[in-house]
Amino acid sequence: MKNLFKIIILSCLFLYSGYSLAQGEKDKVEAIRVNFISEQLKLTTNESEKFWPVYNEYMDKVKAVRKNLRQSYKKAPEELSDKEAEELYQLDLKSKQTEAELYKQYSEKIKVIIGAKKIVKLREAEEEFKRKVMKAIKDKDD
Amino acid sequence: MSRKYNIFKVLVFIGIIFLFSTQIKGQATFDSLKLKLPKHYFKTVIIVDGYNKPNQTFTDTNDFLAKRLKSYGLKQSSLSFYTPLVTYTDVDTVKHITKNTHILLTGNYMRLRPVFDGIKQHNLVKMGIGLRFIFNSGKKGVWFVETSPFITKDVTYASKGYFRMASTVIYSYNVSERFNWRIGATKSFMWGNKNYWPFIGLRFGRLDKVNLSIQFPRSINFNVPVGPKLTMSFYTKPQGGMYNFSNHDSIYYISNASTFSYTRYELNSGFRADVRVNNNFNFYIAAGISSKNNITFYSEKINSKRPNLPYKTYFFKETLGPTIFLNIGLVFKFGKTRTFYKDRNMYDVMDLNNTIDVGDNNGGAGNPQIPITPKTKKDVNLNSIQDLIDYNDF
Repeated sequence: MKNLFKIIILSCLFLYSGYSLAQGEKDKVEAIRVNFISEQLKLTTNESEKFWPVYNEYMDKVKAVRKNLRQSYKKAPEELSDKEAEELYQLDLKSKQTEAELYKQYSEKIKVIIGAKKIVKLREAEEEFKRKVMKAIKDKDD
Repeated sequence: MSRKYNIFKVLVFIGIIFLFSTQIKGQATFDSLKLKLPKHYFKTVIIVDGYNKPNQTFTDTNDFLAKRLKSYGLKQSSLSFYTPLVTYTDVDTVKHITKNTHILLTGNYMRLRPVFDGIKQHNLVKMGIGLRFIFNSGKKGVWFVETSPFITKDVTYASKGYFRMASTVIYSYNVSERFNWRIGATKSFMWGNKNYWPFIGLRFGRLDKVNLSIQFPRSINFNVPVGPKLTMSFYTKPQGGMYNFSNHDSIYYISNASTFSYTRYELNSGFRADVRVNNNFNFYIAAGISSKNNITFYSEKINSKRPNLPYKTYFFKETLGPTIFLNIGLVFKFGKTRTFYKDRNMYDVMDLNNTIDVGDNNGGAGNPQIPITPKTKKDVNLNSIQDLIDYNDF
């Protein structure tokens, strides 16, 4: 009986480990992205102390908006009723609008902390990282 | 001059209103989507820990009790957890700093078997629930306050449990990412008996890179992240505690006490490997040399009846020579948390929480939540991780 209990516990642990693998890998990509931005920006200690909490908060919100929208696309467009399609369309608009507003709101905050030059550099670094990701995906497909 | 000044004031006012309205609008639109962001920075963490030391023969042939007990070894297992109860984040919009307060619930159940070959085996249990409060000022300082009450009991034979309490107060100051000092006080049983120590900590090097951490009286660690998945540490630290021991075997032969106190400590020096299997699971393995293996027996109750005697007058005390030890642990992390990449103070918050381990056993889960960033070359090579990329995340 004791052995059965141990086997059940061990099985649960292995299943749990496997389940969380995908999330771990996403975090790895995120860590590389943050490191890349950090290297590009070359923040001073004082800037870094204030910048990262604000930037992390911004990213948490943007990710939540995108995830929410992504999860709403459950059905194929042909399977949607008119009402569902309208709701999805409205959510899409609202999500894009929220993203734009968050972008503006947090850009203002970040600008006060690191200045206009570094915020331009930040955008450039973000875009550069996206390009690298795209290139990696394209190279794989080729 | 006065007119120009008034125009300037009006412009500043309009500017503030404009900025403020943008923020309110941004937040309002976000709120209208009814999205839930994670509240806490801490995950709920469960730690399963096993610690063993082989038996050593008592060499003191003059001591009657040493001859009777014959040898001494340790088998210890524990289950501990911490979980965030309250997280309060406050953004100072004038100074642009983010302060946060964390209240965590902690718990520990430890089962210890001191293996004496000369008597029947005793299973000693220590269990407790504690609270810790951590305040991150958002600038350079972090406060840590913990109280950890616990009960110890010999569960092999019917015995009365003893209530004790460990506690710690620390102020941690991050001079820079690479240098941190800490000062405080701690009441702990890790050196065998109840002790009040000043707490003095120094760290050289970043928490997510190679660092030397001296945390008196708890540990000295030299940590080397080998990659995002593996951290090697070379360390020295005391481990010990104070437990209730049933006098069922009449070890305290001159009295009729039903229980007495058994204290132990050892100084462990060795290496430890922390493996981050994935975001929700870690494990660690540590091994090395355990020296100054000290063990004492005394009865506070009997000693209190003898005037002019200190409460911890031992009826048995031995210090055994060096031996080996093995420590293995599994760390499970649950829940979604807020992001704190590169947030130096939050890294320190996490490190403080793990430096002062749950249950005053001086074990610890390592720093499973501090992200170790993969080494990036000047030109990031993403080919090695292309299978992992989720386009929608960007």
